[in-house]
Amino acid sequence: MSDSSSMMLIGIGGGGSAIARGVRRAFGEGLRFLAIDTDAATAADCEDFLLLGGNRLSGRGSGGDVVAARLATEDSINSLDPKIEGVRLAIIVTSLGGGTGGGATLETVKRLDSLGIPSIVFATTPFTFEGEDRQRSARGVMAMIEEAAGATFFVPLDKIVGNAERLDDAMRRAVDTMASAVTLFWRLVEKPGYLRLDAERIRHLVSKAGRGRFAAVSSMGPDRARDISDMIARAPLLTMGSGPVRAILCGVLAGEDLRLSEISTISDGVRSAFGSQATTFELATVNDEDTFSGRISVVLLLFEANAKDDYSDEKSAGVLGNKRKKRAAKPLGVGPQGRGRFNNAEPTIWNGEDLDIPTYLRRGINLDV
Amino acid sequence: MSNFYAAMEIGTTRTVLAIGEEEVGGRLKITCHAEIPSTGVRKSQILDINQATSSIKSVLHAIEKKQSEAGSTITLGNAYLVVSGQHIKADPFQGMVPIEGAKVGTEELDAVFRSSRTMQIPKDREFLDIVDQDYEVDALRGITAPRGMSGRILKLNTLQIHADRNRIDNARTAADEAKLEIREPLFAATCAADAVLDEHEKRNGVLVLDIGGGSTGYAAYSDGHLVTTGVIGVGGDHITNDIAHAFQTTNAQAEQLKIESASAIIGRPGEPRVKVPGSSPLMESRTISRRALDTVVNARLRELLTVIRETLEDQDLFNRLHAGVVLTGGGAAMHDIDALVQRELGMPVRTGKPIHVDGLDGEKFPASFAAVAGALMYASRTDEDRSILSGLIGRFFK
Repeated sequence: MSDSSSMMLIGIGGGGSAIARGVRRAFGEGLRFLAIDTDAATAADCEDFLLLGGNRLSGRGSGGDVVAARLATEDSINSLDPKIEGVRLAIIVTSLGGGTGGGATLETVKRLDSLGIPSIVFATTPFTFEGEDRQRSARGVMAMIEEAAGATFFVPLDKIVGNAERLDDAMRRAVDTMASAVTLFWRLVEKPGYLRLDAERIRHLVSKAGRGRFAAVSSMGPDRARDISDMIARAPLLTMGSGPVRAILCGVLAGEDLRLSEISTISDGVRSAFGSQATTFELATVNDEDTFSGRISVVLLLFEANAKDDYSDEKSAGVLGNKRKKRAAKPLGVGPQGRGRFNNAEPTIWNGEDLDIPTYLRRGINLDV
Repeated sequence: MSNFYAAMEIGTTRTVLAIGEEEVGGRLKITCHAEIPSTGVRKSQILDINQATSSIKSVLHAIEKKQSEAGSTITLGNAYLVVSGQHIKADPFQGMVPIEGAKVGTEELDAVFRSSRTMQIPKDREFLDIVDQDYEVDALRGITAPRGMSGRILKLNTLQIHADRNRIDNARTAADEAKLEIREPLFAATCAADAVLDEHEKRNGVLVLDIGGGSTGYAAYSDGHLVTTGVIGVGGDHITNDIAHAFQTTNAQAEQLKIESASAIIGRPGEPRVKVPGSSPLMESRTISRRALDTVVNARLRELLTVIRETLEDQDLFNRLHAGVVLTGGGAAMHDIDALVQRELGMPVRTGKPIHVDGLDGEKFPASFAAVAGALMYASRTDEDRSILSGLIGRFFK
């Protein structure tokens, strides 16, 4: 899979669609983009739009009601299928805490999963000042989205607005941060350089990767690689995780002046900061003189599980269907469940699975004790 | 006087020490051995040096007691160390030299040997072994005796086995504390293979699975030489842990269930319920489903075999193992594991009793001594000129 049509960007809800439009503007032609919302007004800025629950909500939005948004999505979900024909990997951007962002994202991801299309979900979670109700609403769907998605990146808005003083500045910065990360990621796949990471490999990597963290940083000047290493080590979005990093995807985007020593500096910096327990490190470059002349941009994705291959689909498991096996494999590598006497021992990771956790547990085998 | 050698394995579940003696004709015999339960070791790694030292002291004491009962008063001074663990890796490396005189001669053979010993490894790694595989002369591969062959370039393919230096040093430190000098670390899986395989099997292709408590080593041979080896960080302890988790037992109860009641295959005939004794005198015993117990064990072992199979398939070696599989290590004592391996890997299977070393006939399960037996063979093969009897003729006993 290398053509652009096999990867699709889906913006869900008002916030998600705004981010997706930002990516669309930055990337230009060749990006397959779909906006999904319960609010018909979103259609105005989008080339391809799917209105959810037209009969139920009359295009006026879900009013912040996750349940209404889920029902609206269920009403309209069959309309999604023709729009995603030929898609093998979906990048979803959304904002949780409202109605459509949470409810529609969940149902969309589930639909994609049922069609065998892995999705990478970039989702913002509400500001603290937005109150406990919205926080709870976001938390309520996060676990369910994780269950169906290939990889998830949940980003607290508090973490990305920095020292912005005005709300509109903060929101703009949030949209820009998310959009720039997704844009760089997209370029990495669609316009590969000498070190390639094609979309099929990405698909493989993220198909069961679970929760991750990401950052996108840029620098210019003679010490740009060193600057980037420092920025990565301090990036608030990268240091907020709870578990050890098992897999790293590092994309270096630059002009033709990108030096080997700079790649090495960045790579060493990433490994030093996050790679002590990583079993997979994928490095890719983009050399695009027009876009990145004099500048290096790095997009970094960290995963706390390592799903580089399809062990959970192995023939001999034979106990669960692919779908259930994937479910069973989900929590692995992110918690100590069942590690028992191996809690403090070096884990045995095989294709993203923590083999110290009892096999019957990971395979979802029911025991009639 | 015969030569004596000692080998020790600090395993996850037990620490073993064995003394071997060359008999008339050069064949090796284990004249004394002892084993005690290990403490401070998880997944073949020492996590508590004090506890590991204590285990070594205990096994030394046990073997000295046996020696004393046999009329000897000597004290053991050093031993070869058998190591395992998933930190052990094997990388192929090729030595290469030009053939100066158009035909391969002694000079080229020496030079390509030296060239094959130049692989660089990080400072935190330590070589355990470098195994010669075969030669190549230009495009001709698989050569076992290149002397006299014509060509331009001579290559020697090797497998370079190396380990985490710190982990080996931890074992050295524990042994030092117990007043036992470590002479050389040796890799458990290849030691076990040396002890249990014959040349016929190595030529036809064979896989040795050395199933220990904390990890499983594998060593595959084809065309007479080692073609790949490594360690998976899953062993018999994982079965115990799985049982303890599934049936809410203590580790001791789970270990007992594993050894006495569990099977690697599901559906064997027998009582449908298995008794689990109380974890203390105050706790009543209970029963669990035999089928459920076997299901837990079966799932774990099938997974391990799948990992092994995929590892070999990735290297295009799986279909070259025509002589089948040989099981060694304590994990090979699992009930019906041979039947499961045969079913899962589709190959003939046998348990690997050491065939080149005597003295284990009285043992209930000699395959669990395969690694130390192989280490003693190595000692005998390569260390003959270094006397090991201290006090009398060397430094081995003091």
